[in-house]
Amino acid sequence: MHAFPCNSAPRESLRRVRALSRALAITIVLLANVCRSPAQTPLRVAAAADLEPVLPPILEQFQQATGIHAEATYQASAALTTQIQNGAPFDLFLSADLGYPKRLIDAGLADAAGSADSTTPIVYARGTLVLWTRKDAHLPPPSLDLLRGSDLKRLAIANPDRAPYGRAAVAALTSLKLYDSLKPRLVTAENIAQTAQFVDSGNADAGLISLTSALTPRLSGEGTYFVIPRELYPPIEQGAVIVSKTSQRPAAHKLLDFLLSGPIQAQLAKAGLTPVK
Amino acid sequence: MDWQAFALTLKLAATTTAILIAVAVPLAGWLVLGHSRWRRAVEAVAALPLVLPPTVLGFFLLVLLGPRTLVGRGIAVLLGHPLAFSFTGLVVGSVIYSLPFAVQPLVAGFSAVETAYVDAARLLGAGPARMVLSLLVPLARRSLIAAAILSFLHTVGEFGVVLMLGGDIPGATRTLSIVLYNQVENFDYAAAARTSAVLFALSVLALSAIYAAWRPSGVRRG
Repeated sequence: MHAFPCNSAPRESLRRVRALSRALAITIVLLANVCRSPAQTPLRVAAAADLEPVLPPILEQFQQATGIHAEATYQASAALTTQIQNGAPFDLFLSADLGYPKRLIDAGLADAAGSADSTTPIVYARGTLVLWTRKDAHLPPPSLDLLRGSDLKRLAIANPDRAPYGRAAVAALTSLKLYDSLKPRLVTAENIAQTAQFVDSGNADAGLISLTSALTPRLSGEGTYFVIPRELYPPIEQGAVIVSKTSQRPAAHKLLDFLLSGPIQAQLAKAGLTPVK
Repeated sequence: MDWQAFALTLKLAATTTAILIAVAVPLAGWLVLGHSRWRRAVEAVAALPLVLPPTVLGFFLLVLLGPRTLVGRGIAVLLGHPLAFSFTGLVVGSVIYSLPFAVQPLVAGFSAVETAYVDAARLLGAGPARMVLSLLVPLARRSLIAAAILSFLHTVGEFGVVLMLGGDIPGATRTLSIVLYNQVENFDYAAAARTSAVLFALSVLALSAIYAAWRPSGVRRG
């Protein structure tokens, strides 16, 4: 560098500092405005992974009907429960079972206020477990016999410790007395969406996935499914609760009512969930 | 404490480290000594795993090396099973994922060797292999140790790739970081605390070893 700094250097840097501080001030003012306007805060929905193919169009219709913008995060119900327990800023929790929302109610973090019994999650749908294979998997069409036979080298299920569909899968395999023989061939996915992805990518031969995944345009084009008989596993009752510290309780209630309304329940049925009404 | 997962994690990290050192030493030698115009591009590609989120890397491997691609089918025929959901699959994932942690310290160490030595060796007729093994590696042995320990630790702490590629199979793909994740997700915080304590102790030991190698006792700075 120069041994003798010329005079313009400090002036130059001063000008830069001024320009920078001006840009910073403008940014802060803009940010403050964004944060202040309440219309910008969306209703935050924590949704079980099986709702990922189902919920987005419903949230869009909800916005058209009410003007309320809702944003959903899709993960395994257990993961969402941990997040809510640790203060994640959700307003409404749509679980894939009743156990996790009940746990939040018991911890005083969520409630079902407004329904007949505020300590029981509101059942908004029932899930259906299906056996799904790719059409190009060189396997006989999915059936219980496929599970009984030796064709399957790898069967994907969701993690039974925390994904309600994984629990249902293990229950169904146990009812069929196949769990012990299939256990070495099971691969466990993080949630029901990843279970479908393991099979769709060809890495597992078959998977016990949600009917909601099997009915998506992508999977229904590439594979076939077999509905696991309902008497083989306890019903996958999907419960909703309102996160107690929400600042948008009326909006959360509106979305719940919307979900339970006739037309939307009919839409759920088409997407692979059994309506409750 | 899941000792099976502990043993599996050490086995995965040791295998990965051995392969990485075998790959990274010649690669770093070529990057430092070579004159190819592809050098910069190769160096950039070797650093890519630093940028890519591990889950994305895992997903690429699941799909690109899955049974629906030509390469994946070849691998499946060779191994008798697809790469995913197997220990071999995790080794492949880990080697890619930890590559920069082996290459970067070696490149830095090799570059720090005085050019006079390199020129002298070249004048005396040493080939590139001899220059790397008899000159650069001995003179940059601390970088070699650092590269090995960093690769080992980075593999121990690997999570996203294993989550995407593993399928959580005990004894084959259930590593300590997956056990820890399962424990947290299953609300078993006490067990999670024990598992993280083991991971923590392992890391402190290994990192202390790095710094001891870096600054041998008796040599003080400042």
